[in-house]
Amino acid sequence: MSAFVRHPASVEEAVGWLASIPGALPISGGASLMAMINARLVEPSCLVNLERLEELRGLSLQADGSLRIGAMTRHRDIAGSALLVGAHVLLRQAAAVIANRPVRNMGTIGGALGHADPAADYLGPLRCLDAEIEIAGRSGRRSVPMSQFILGWYETALAPGEIVVAARAPPLPAGATLYRKVARVSGDFATISCALRLEEDGRGTTARAAIGACGPAPLRSETAEELLRGGLGDAEAVARFGAALQAHADPIDDVRGSADYRLKLIPRVLASAIAELTGADRG
Amino acid sequence: MKFAGAFDVKAPRPAVWEKIRDPGLMAACIPGCDSIEKVSETSYRAVVAVKVGPISARFSLVVDIVREEPPTRLVARARGEEGGRASALSCESLLSLTSLGEAGTRVEYEADVDVTGRLGKFGLGIMRKKVEQLSEAFVAAFRGRLEPAAAA
Amino acid sequence: MAEGLALIVNGKIARVAVGGAKTLLSALRDDLRVLSPKRGCNQGVCGSCTVLIDGEPRRACLTLVERCEGVDVRTVEGLANDKFMQALQRAFVVSGGVQCGFCTPGVLASARALLAETPAPDEGEVKAALSGNLCRCTGYRTIVEAVLAAAKEVSL
Ligand SMILES: Cc1cc2nc3c(=O)[nH]c(=O)nc-3n(C[C@H](O)[C@H](O)[C@H](O)COP(=O)(O)OP(=O)(O)OC[C@H]3O[C@@H](n4cnc5c(N)ncnc54)[C@H](O)[C@@H]3O)c2cc1C
Repeated sequence: MSAFVRHPASVEEAVGWLASIPGALPISGGASLMAMINARLVEPSCLVNLERLEELRGLSLQADGSLRIGAMTRHRDIAGSALLVGAHVLLRQAAAVIANRPVRNMGTIGGALGHADPAADYLGPLRCLDAEIEIAGRSGRRSVPMSQFILGWYETALAPGEIVVAARAPPLPAGATLYRKVARVSGDFATISCALRLEEDGRGTTARAAIGACGPAPLRSETAEELLRGGLGDAEAVARFGAALQAHADPIDDVRGSADYRLKLIPRVLASAIAELTGADRG
Repeated sequence: MKFAGAFDVKAPRPAVWEKIRDPGLMAACIPGCDSIEKVSETSYRAVVAVKVGPISARFSLVVDIVREEPPTRLVARARGEEGGRASALSCESLLSLTSLGEAGTRVEYEADVDVTGRLGKFGLGIMRKKVEQLSEAFVAAFRGRLEPAAAA
Repeated sequence: MAEGLALIVNGKIARVAVGGAKTLLSALRDDLRVLSPKRGCNQGVCGSCTVLIDGEPRRACLTLVERCEGVDVRTVEGLANDKFMQALQRAFVVSGGVQCGFCTPGVLASARALLAETPAPDEGEVKAALSGNLCRCTGYRTIVEAVLAAAKEVSL
């Protein structure tokens, strides 16, 4: 073993090293980090391997009905988990379309959150499910709602030396869910994505939706969701809903599509996803 | 990558021009600029650090003023490398200043930035967003220096 | 670099030097001269470095070698007597699923993992399992045919 790679046995030991070794980075699956190291985009002084941290492993249903996914849980295990039921199925749907089998055998939800690629498939679903991100650092533990976790392009609420310990999705009313990923080919990062779930209360059904890859963080508008309540079958109401999300978009131009193309897709992808879910609901 | 934009400053044109030609002030306003050193009346050396998510880079730049027509137009060229990492940056920029009378001065800029080497791999889409963010930060800092009241 | 690490590659213990962010691919190719995994993009995209780790296909180019102590690393070289691999190799020859051959060891690793998990895959499952392995020669059709034929042969 070299001094370059550390294998902490507890979260406290891991964050202790991350805080005390300048230039140290945590490594989870390595799928994004090793690619960046190979391209010489990042040159860490030390890698703190989170693999052995028991606290970061696996999915569990909490006493209050919330679902906790440890940061080291791989895409493969999320895609195959029977614990994801009801609205939480959204995470399974997203995990199943990340990259390809070998990458899903490596990558983790904690690494995806730490990397915060605007096109990462978990971000929209976590936002759509009102998830909270559990964080640990040398000065202790805290929890940040997904709505406040991403601060900018590849920038998160994690302070230097802090790590993601888990993502926690609160219990939610059951309702149909859909994760729609628009990509050039299967396995590519999303050009745009849409995480959608239907939620019904006494006042009618509405859609909870988060659009991915159209800005540094997923787009969601709770206000627009309330305006849409009861109007899922009304094309104009759905179009207004799409326009409301589009208004907050800030997409990039890249090989996957121009910013303009992404903007145009927002209302269309939303409308088609809503049509698919409401259609399926009726049947 | 081409960029263009404009911003207004509540200060008379000659004052704005003077600040633009003041390397110390520019160093303080350019985000990530660690130092500017004057080589001649029209040539400077600068060190600028940029950070995009996990990726950090430090460029050593040579900035040449190619043409200037005080107090209205300035054409500059910056070129530089990232020590030993085979990554290079070049930028051609044009600044023009228009007097708005009592309202101050409008600064219009156009720039053509090229990044090659390892940073190019990260994708131009995200680089563009970064440059846009940096220009906003610059404008805010620059205004702060010229409009003491607004900065307070 | 003085300290080494013991890997289990194709069933044998092999010591490799460690240092920096050294990858499993580098240990296999550069230290152990196990050359079937290829260094293609080094970004995890092309799939030519795919190997089996505890039976699962993973990218050797993105795998930190220091996390491989005690795991079972398998490449085509170590699967000569494997019934799935033998059937795959025969079927690839028959269908013409190999042209330049650069992607082949990675494709075989992914296909071997599929057959071990899913005895009678349909065409869609084969395509999904191979979607992380790029081939610039064959156009994929002969590869998919070979995997389907091998699955059939193994199940007989
Ligand atoms: C070819 C390829 C295709 C891909 N396609 C997709 C895709 O379609 N959709 C998608 O969503 N993703 C995709 N990815 C990304 C993949 O999902 C990664 O696995 C994921 O982004 C990072 O997870 P990881 O565990 O590998 O993290 P690592 O590579 O280990 O780490 C990534 C970053 O996060 C930091 N980090 C790691 N763990 C933590 C933690 N617990 N807390 C805080 N910071 C941490 C690291 O320091 C590093 O900066 C792709 C990756 C590759 C290589």
